[in-house]
Amino acid sequence: NQNGVAQKKFKTFSSYKRDDQFPSRVKDLIVVVDVKASTIVLPIMGRPVPFHINTIKNASKSDEGDFAYLRINFLSPGQGVGRKDDQPFQDPSAHFVRSLTLRSKDADRMQDIAQQITDLRKNAVRREQEKKQLED
Amino acid sequence: MESFEGIHLDLSKHPGKCRIAESGLGWKPSSGGDTFTLDGSDIDGAQWSRAARGYELKIFSRKSGVIQLDGFDQEEFDRVSKVFKLFYGINLESKEHALRGWNWGRGEFGKAELAFNVQNRPAFEIPYSEISNTNLAGKNEVAVEFSLPGGGSETGTNGHLGEARSKGRKAGAARDQLVEMRLYVPGTATKKEQDEEGEDKSVE
Repeated sequence: NQNGVAQKKFKTFSSYKRDDQFPSRVKDLIVVVDVKASTIVLPIMGRPVPFHINTIKNASKSDEGDFAYLRINFLSPGQGVGRKDDQPFQDPSAHFVRSLTLRSKDADRMQDIAQQITDLRKNAVRREQEKKQLED
Repeated sequence: MESFEGIHLDLSKHPGKCRIAESGLGWKPSSGGDTFTLDGSDIDGAQWSRAARGYELKIFSRKSGVIQLDGFDQEEFDRVSKVFKLFYGINLESKEHALRGWNWGRGEFGKAELAFNVQNRPAFEIPYSEISNTNLAGKNEVAVEFSLPGGGSETGTNGHLGEARSKGRKAGAARDQLVEMRLYVPGTATKKEQDEEGEDKSVE
């Protein structure tokens, strides 16, 4: 079934179509979980940068000194885990954001965000599995 | 001369007033303090795009790197664009960013910043001045660390010192601050990998 895997088509997805679709809270330069768009919006140098839940592998929160750290790992090549059908690996020259780490003094909110990402990820995986079962 | 209220300089926590005159550009914090000025002849290029806080005027300067002014209204584009053309002979380029939410694309090294492009549109840009360190974290993996203030107290995060422009501390101005980014960069031929390493090192 190697050919079957290789030929599997990449299903496209998109967070937003227009820049007025961002949640208004992005103006506070904070991480925003937009459940409706299945997207996490991260502040990167003053820009709201969306990452669709389908690109995310996992998220975790840890504490160090005065700060809480939120680490988001993304799906990318060479990680050993499956899910190759989720990524356009047919473009061998693509670069990937593999992980992003943010810190904040707001430990509770960071914990909450990590949990929300985990839940969103779980739901996305479940929906995918249900769809696959229907296709079979 | 044109004047704009509620503008943040390099992501400063508190806003100020931005003035654009024939001789150059100035930003004065609303709460008082030193005024940042930029000579008109130092402006090399300018971009307009959607930011987290309203719209952003990004200036590529010859001597001071990337200068970010955000908090503009969308409708102010015409006024800014007009004076940039008139005073400095600079076209204000309206730049649309990638909104797809993909984590793959292409990292491209520009003159003043590293852009991560998704389908030929930048998803985000990192001014080189914000990068404190880069290293090869693994096979095909580049780790980029950002300049951040020690206790989160040297920039706009606590308000009282944040009004003056603090060079290389843009990442520290956000409530949630970017600490590290890891990129997967494919490289098959050994020669090519070395080229990419060289490129990455030039960022430091």
